[in-house]
Amino acid sequence: MSSSSGPEPTPQLDVAELEQAEKLERPPAAERALGDAERGARGRGWVTVAWALPGGLWLGFFLLAPLVFIVLVSFWTYQLGAKSGFTTKWTTANYGTIIHTSTYWHNMLGSLYTSLIAVAACLVLGFPVAYFLALKVQNLRNQIALFIIALAPFWTSFLVRSVAWTYPLSDVLGKLGISTPSSASVRLALIQLYILFMITPLFFTLAQVDRTAIEAARDLGGNWWRTFTAVILPQALPGIVIGSIFIFVLTMGEYGTVLVVGQNFVQSVGTIVNSYITNAVEYPQGAAAAVLLVLALIAGVFVITRLSNLREEL
Amino acid sequence: MENERTAGPTVEGAANAAPSAAKDSGLDLIGLTKVFPGGTVAVDDVNLHIDHGEYVVLLGPSGCGKTTTLRMIGGHEVPTEGDIVLDGHSLVGLAPHKRPTTTVFQHFALFPHRNVLENVEFGLKMHGVDKEQRRKQALDALEMVGLTELADRKPRALSGGQQQRVALARVLVTKPKALLLDEPLGDLDRLLQLRMRVELRNLQRQLGLMFVHVTHNQEEALSMADRIVVMNDARIQQVADPLTIATRPETELVARFMGDNNVIRGRVTERSGDRLVVENEDRVRTAVVAEGDPRAVGDEAMVSVRAAAVQVDENGAQPAGSGSAECEIVFVEFLGDLVKLHLTAGGERMLAKVPGDRYPEFMGREGDTIRISWKEDDVQLLRA
Repeated sequence: MSSSSGPEPTPQLDVAELEQAEKLERPPAAERALGDAERGARGRGWVTVAWALPGGLWLGFFLLAPLVFIVLVSFWTYQLGAKSGFTTKWTTANYGTIIHTSTYWHNMLGSLYTSLIAVAACLVLGFPVAYFLALKVQNLRNQIALFIIALAPFWTSFLVRSVAWTYPLSDVLGKLGISTPSSASVRLALIQLYILFMITPLFFTLAQVDRTAIEAARDLGGNWWRTFTAVILPQALPGIVIGSIFIFVLTMGEYGTVLVVGQNFVQSVGTIVNSYITNAVEYPQGAAAAVLLVLALIAGVFVITRLSNLREEL
Repeated sequence: MENERTAGPTVEGAANAAPSAAKDSGLDLIGLTKVFPGGTVAVDDVNLHIDHGEYVVLLGPSGCGKTTTLRMIGGHEVPTEGDIVLDGHSLVGLAPHKRPTTTVFQHFALFPHRNVLENVEFGLKMHGVDKEQRRKQALDALEMVGLTELADRKPRALSGGQQQRVALARVLVTKPKALLLDEPLGDLDRLLQLRMRVELRNLQRQLGLMFVHVTHNQEEALSMADRIVVMNDARIQQVADPLTIATRPETELVARFMGDNNVIRGRVTERSGDRLVVENEDRVRTAVVAEGDPRAVGDEAMVSVRAAAVQVDENGAQPAGSGSAECEIVFVEFLGDLVKLHLTAGGERMLAKVPGDRYPEFMGREGDTIRISWKEDDVQLLRA
């Protein structure tokens, strides 16, 4: 490393001495034993059960029970005139009907497409916002204030926002060459509606990025882009994944915005499920359509987590 | 390698840099000033010359401007005024990655998603070194810090000491002209810290590289530096080799910050040539040689006497030195090799260090009254 690399000895730390000093101070075995003891104490006992109980009950009552009921209904028989429109006779015919309904699959693909566009757009548009909030705004108070302002559209009611998209904004969109109602206007509305679900997790992961690591990368010769890809992006990955899952799940099953902004000109999987339930009152078919949608969502989430190896990141 | 660790602190290396034009070789800070938005003056007119191969420690209490100075050298802060010149070329205006300096950051700042080898390779990759070359150089650097076997570990799977060695390899591999270290030992446990002082110093000598090291730890500065720059309140207080800093503090701050100095405030009661006698109302009295000092009889003066230079006089004996005080022992602090006697002379707190093996024969007890004295040579006149 010195300019004249002659016969002088190569620079070298006396590593044995250093490691001995460190071991004397922190015997690894003792530290591990301590950690194990702590973990063990936390893992056992009724305290854990008590903490898990409210959440478990909540999930059981409001999530699992309805889901189980929907799955059951999807295997029961549709009967016009029967009480609530079906009898509890087991059948797979509902799934047969849905599987052979080409509109359903057409809409499923359409929703998937919309959903992927929304994920990509939210990521591209949301990342700079989160980046700015987390890394460029230095002062914590300004950071929180700006974050709350970014959340502001979320405070207005769903109806107000949807109507704004439908009427006043349609003029503007028309001038930009986007006719309303159309798939494009629905997608724009969805992106605006849900982008916060991308910005929020991104903001929190970017805020955790070690700033001195960014400085170190700059110091070692990394320009902005290299620093970004080497230091910032890998650490933002958990936020990107969580945000993408949110946007994917929320937009894929969305039907309210599609109905209001799309005004029956635009369809999605959600609108089909809705039409089975509210228009035709065919609960078993609607339930089957919903179960297939849930399976599609699970598959999608699985793919996203696989692509990013989220568990390793966290 | 053991016998290479000989060069101790030397008195003659204490040349203060004149705040003049930059030299062709080495690093010059010229009138360096940093005012933060809001008006806080972090660094105020700092002038310093550092030679290649020199180990300089910037020492001072937190907020004294030492870290800001280092960050300006590294390009992580922009100076408000002044210049930073390395080998005749100004660094001001260059981005950190365009400067021939690299920094070891306080908490190592390793890239958590890259393994040890990739961390070390990063700088070379950024400088466009081809893959084979950079792998070889990175492995050489890992060899140097003894981490070859852990090359494919992620940083979080390493101990603190190992992480620090990765940080060191990562910057050294880029062959900087100056290595900047921001509290490099601050995150380490004490034993390792002590060992690392020796190793880091030794490595610097072997490399012959300029190290600029920031710390608030006096002992660390004394044990590692060729020259110490003591800073306080945005300004340089004193620049000197460790022996001078330890024995000849020039200002009250340096005397107090370095610790174990008796600072005596009083008035000049006699003057003969360059020799002053300073006395205070607690009847602490000392002579001091002050070449060219303009003070006359009656003027205020402040002097410093090292606790280690203070002698405890035998009962009834004539004071051994030219300075003396009558004190009460307030507290006896036993530290093994030495004993610190916390004393009070009237209202003035004083401190004497006596060898631990002499303590049993001396047998001073808390509450006893003793007489202490010191030699004229050990007294230093201070600037306010």
